[in-house]
Amino acid sequence: MTYTFKIKDKVYKIDIEKEKDQTVIQIDEKDIPVEFHKIDDHMYSIILEGKSITIGVLRNGKKLQIFMDGNLFEIEAISERDQRKSPQTLSGVQEIKSPMPSRVVKILKEVGDEVLVDEGVIVVEAMKMESELKSPIEGKVTDLLVNEGDAVEAGTSLLIVSSE
Amino acid sequence: MFNKILIANRGEIAVRIIRACKELGATTVAVYSDADRSSLHVTLADEAYHIGGSAPAESYLVIDKIIEVANKSGAQAIHPGFGFLSENEEFAQRCEKEGIVFIGPSAEAIRLMGDKITARKIAQDIKVPLVPGSDGAVTDVEASVIASKIGYPVMIKASAGGGGKGMRLVRDKEEFESSLRMARSEARSSFGDDSVFVERFVEQPRHVEIQILADSHGNTLHLFERECSIQRRHQKVVEEAPSSAISAKTRKKMGEVAVKIAKAVNYSGAGTVEFIMDQNENFFFLEMNTRVQVEHPVTEMISSIDIVKWMVRIAAGEKLPFKQKDIEMQGWALECRVYAEDPETNFMPSPGLLKYVKAPSGPGIRDDSSIYSGCEITSFYDPMLSKLVVWAENREAAIDKMASALREYIVLGVKTNIGFLIRLMDSEEFRQGKIDTGFIERHPELLTPGTVDLEPALIAAALAVDDLDQTEDSSKQDQSNWKLLGRKAALSGGSLI
Repeated sequence: MTYTFKIKDKVYKIDIEKEKDQTVIQIDEKDIPVEFHKIDDHMYSIILEGKSITIGVLRNGKKLQIFMDGNLFEIEAISERDQRKSPQTLSGVQEIKSPMPSRVVKILKEVGDEVLVDEGVIVVEAMKMESELKSPIEGKVTDLLVNEGDAVEAGTSLLIVSSE
Repeated sequence: MFNKILIANRGEIAVRIIRACKELGATTVAVYSDADRSSLHVTLADEAYHIGGSAPAESYLVIDKIIEVANKSGAQAIHPGFGFLSENEEFAQRCEKEGIVFIGPSAEAIRLMGDKITARKIAQDIKVPLVPGSDGAVTDVEASVIASKIGYPVMIKASAGGGGKGMRLVRDKEEFESSLRMARSEARSSFGDDSVFVERFVEQPRHVEIQILADSHGNTLHLFERECSIQRRHQKVVEEAPSSAISAKTRKKMGEVAVKIAKAVNYSGAGTVEFIMDQNENFFFLEMNTRVQVEHPVTEMISSIDIVKWMVRIAAGEKLPFKQKDIEMQGWALECRVYAEDPETNFMPSPGLLKYVKAPSGPGIRDDSSIYSGCEITSFYDPMLSKLVVWAENREAAIDKMASALREYIVLGVKTNIGFLIRLMDSEEFRQGKIDTGFIERHPELLTPGTVDLEPALIAAALAVDDLDQTEDSSKQDQSNWKLLGRKAALSGGSLI
């Protein structure tokens, strides 16, 4: 699997090869064997060519925060898998979240309404730009968590769609 | 000794005081605002009472509410901690009236030292060295005349000030008028009082202060000095004891001066006399803080005296069992204030949910904090997360220990100044003790990580994303009703992201 990351406009590509017990990382065309162990929620221990590194990772959508030696790095992740993922394969309960701090402009679907894949459910506005948020699944609106006019933070759940 | 003590504060200092009171055998009473229901001081205390909204003005600053809880719970004494009502004369008076012991000095001592102009007059009367400046509050015209007389650079300070608010450094005459205007308006909005005074600005000053401990039987002693020259926005970030800049002779003299000031206002309890010191060890009285100081732990580490416990014992009428000559200092202590703030954007506070917290430990390491994995840092209060304190045999060893301990500290979820503190500990000038209050401003390179090997971070990112994707996939496959239910419940609360 190849992962592509962006740190302050610089793009890095990292390849992970997994073979039985061995994980090999390819970075800058260099193969590095790595031992990786999750030690707690958000916390990972990595042994890299004998070097022991403890790293914290927080994920919020495509944004990753990496904590290492007292420093916090903001990394943007783009994985191939993300790109391949088709919405039809999703099911269950989906939260429609605000992608950025914004204001709810219009609610297009009420609780109980049927929605189709990619059908718009809510419109938010940020920095004078309106964007329509779409449902990733077919289902029914089960919860509406905001009102028109509400100011919301990035990541706030706005509406829940359930396929069950 | 008191049977029951109310702690009128929150955060790490409330936790520190609760622990001390418990060790003294007293039942502890916490008070809390809406935002603090799950704070550590509430869960640690024996009793806890809700006192109102999250904004301090609706809870921790409301005298009536705190007195009401004291009466209802039967607390015999109140420890105010620092900030909030700790230096509020009216609160101390009110406690007295209600027959509750205020753990601190008399309302009169708070009043005399609380007003900087009065404090300056007292110091002047007993021949304590002062920075040349205006005798008290000044009009705009007077201010400008005095500034020219004492010579630039000058400092404009709010009479009712504290924490760097309403303070302006003026380097030349042209800037004076606009700086004066800004200082007044800041003073008005922060303290409701726009009177200011003017004094000479000491170049490359070091901030050195003396810890006072006085009982109500006439014994007033000092526990040596602390140096707090590493400041950002006029607020302390790193403190140490002793100071690397003062000789035994100056230490003795400064201690005696501080004791003299405390005696002049019949001080009792713990207090701090702050001085500004130039590069030739000339020191001038700044102010006296009539409460426990944030940085009191460094003094405790070198003197082996528990300041908070002594505050309580003194308030209960106990006599200090030791004399000045009995107090010895040993080794070196350092404190770093770990803040939820971003050094890269002028130390802007960074509130948020702490997803994971792990404090360092080991011999000589003390972490005074109230944070834990899952707690929330709100924007209602100071963004200080912890006071990391270390003790070692000398300054160099203490810095090494601090640098190592900071590298062990993990705080996930908000921006912190930990990386900055590590770079500060590693910097040659700091290690050599070449510090003054302008140190951070002079070293902007310490604010950013600089050249860091990003490879491990990128590898970790890739492995973590891979791991998280797999976990999410498997949880999707066996999504149970319980999980769904929990998720819905959490969402309807609207607090989960």
